[in-house]
Amino acid sequence: MSAPFVEAKNLRRVFDVSKPWLNRVLEGGHLEYLKAVDGVTFDIRKGETFALVGESGSGKTTAARMVVGLLPPSSGSVLIDGISMTDPRQAPARRKLRRRIQMIFQDPYASLNPRFRVDAIISEPIRAFDLVQGEREIQTRVGELLSLVGLHPDDRLKYPHEFSGGQRQRIAIARALASEAEFIVCDEPTSALDVSVQAQILNLMRDLQDKFGLTYMFISHNLAVVRHMASRVGVMYLGRIVEIAEGKELFARPRMPYTKMLLGAVPDLAMSGRQRIPVKGEIPNPINPPPGCAFNPRCPLAFDLCRKQAPELIDGVACHAVNTAPVPA
Amino acid sequence: MTEPVLSVRNLQVEFASRRGTLRAIDGVSFDIAKGEVLGVVGESGAGKSVTGLAVIGLIDPPGRIAGGEICLSGLRIDNLPAEEMRRVRGKRIGMIFQDPLTSLNPLYRVGEQIIETIRTHLNLSETAARRRAIDLLAEVGIPAPEKRIDGYPHEFSGGMRQRVVIALAICAEPELIIADEPTTALDVSVQAQIISLIKRLGRDHGTAVMLVTHDMGVIAETSDRVAVMYAGRVAEIGPVQDVVRNPLHPYAKGLMGAIPTLAGDDKRLVQIPGSMPRLSAIPRGCSFNPRCAFAFDRCRVERPEPLPRGAQSVACHLYDSVPAESAA
Repeated sequence: MSAPFVEAKNLRRVFDVSKPWLNRVLEGGHLEYLKAVDGVTFDIRKGETFALVGESGSGKTTAARMVVGLLPPSSGSVLIDGISMTDPRQAPARRKLRRRIQMIFQDPYASLNPRFRVDAIISEPIRAFDLVQGEREIQTRVGELLSLVGLHPDDRLKYPHEFSGGQRQRIAIARALASEAEFIVCDEPTSALDVSVQAQILNLMRDLQDKFGLTYMFISHNLAVVRHMASRVGVMYLGRIVEIAEGKELFARPRMPYTKMLLGAVPDLAMSGRQRIPVKGEIPNPINPPPGCAFNPRCPLAFDLCRKQAPELIDGVACHAVNTAPVPA
Repeated sequence: MTEPVLSVRNLQVEFASRRGTLRAIDGVSFDIAKGEVLGVVGESGAGKSVTGLAVIGLIDPPGRIAGGEICLSGLRIDNLPAEEMRRVRGKRIGMIFQDPLTSLNPLYRVGEQIIETIRTHLNLSETAARRRAIDLLAEVGIPAPEKRIDGYPHEFSGGMRQRVVIALAICAEPELIIADEPTTALDVSVQAQIISLIKRLGRDHGTAVMLVTHDMGVIAETSDRVAVMYAGRVAEIGPVQDVVRNPLHPYAKGLMGAIPTLAGDDKRLVQIPGSMPRLSAIPRGCSFNPRCAFAFDRCRVERPEPLPRGAQSVACHLYDSVPAESAA
């Protein structure tokens, strides 16, 4: 098998959330750190959709931002096509790599500049990377990109406010494709949209993947959407990946108790009337997480070891109960 | 049959704007029986929240109820004077909003807010009200309520805050609770807890619940009946199992197919072309006709009225030509 396209190794990101120095001196208190992402390792193969799923505060967006280089990791490394996103010695190679990586954000109302016309928004990457020469050719290319995402080429003369949320997300996708990107990081691309529009965008993203062989990293809290899109899924809880598996496998046979609880909690149309596993508690404060496995206070299988030592990710699951004793599937 | 707790007949809500009057709700009718949970589902702009606000009498100018009737246990409430409506609100109708942080006052302890509400509506002493507040907090599943009652809203997590809001909504034993997107701001694991709480309260107290949400999954888990709204009208209404498993209206069909699920194969999602029309440009005839694959001439001129089909009722011309099945 070929080397993975994206390799994230032991990514860690710590935010300093202490009070200001003067307040600490006058009022007491000490330095406080929030471990948003705490040792996350995964790789993404070319042409697949890798999803990170988790509840709010689990660190999925922070992980995505580190992968594209919007946020420097506190430690750990990201390699994309063999080029490090952090190593200063590889800066020239990284500059060439940038074109191939794009991001689609959650809120299409915030991610498009309201004072730019659509043609300026979409042609910006084309001009920045000097991909097409000549004004007329650039406009033709913008028109092509707009038809590709299901808009009209003449829409390039409008401003973002003239479009609905779904149409704006299409513009954001067209912008991501403008640089002929191969790897697109999508951070909650449909959570601001209505279901019928969400279906349009998800279908569009899958069609484009088939057409151009795109690689997606897909961030979402919506398990049903992730199941629909992802070939592989990592489940995050308080900054760590607790389970990582092929999409089908994860949803058919979840192993980690947290994944089971999460899947059980999703209100679902198809299983209307089924018994759900009662959910206990809430995500603890990430500034002061429980010792050992962060999930132990809510876990039905927790035992002594879970309260002392954080489990390693072994064979796709980070759970003492699963790794030490064989749990019948 | 006994009288429904809430009966809405041909409700119309209009908003005056510079460019003319916009009709947000156009002829909505439904009933909610005692102990029943009615889910109201639809996409943004369908008019689900405005319907909820109209029932509780919180439509502010330039909006106004332009027609129709709203009856609470037989009492007509849509034309009550403001002062009388204020007494109905909170006492006989409880309200749960989407964002629990904005529906609690950050400067008062949660206990003070609950006690104030209790004493406004019930004739209780300070100590009795406090005891009742603690009971309520315990009932909605807040651990150590006798301590937490003196906490401020910011000391509670999102899920716990929503529990406080629910305690506020039920403190005067209302006949009807209107829950507007009560779980949208919450994570799935917390959402599941809040859903089962709302369900249990409805069952234990015999409270009628109008649950407004865009999440069909939440409706499927919680509601007894569901109304699918589109562009200010009810497209389809019926028992939740029927509407989910066998939707009749083309919009409801599309909506069910557009939702990715945790079961079944991951085939392409059903795609409804286009998006909800703006209020200023509602199409003539059936408002869904430009997006509908089955639209024919009549849909473009004549507005469909609700037609009974078994236990369901559907506003679509497709079902007019076919003879209605005999009621089961």
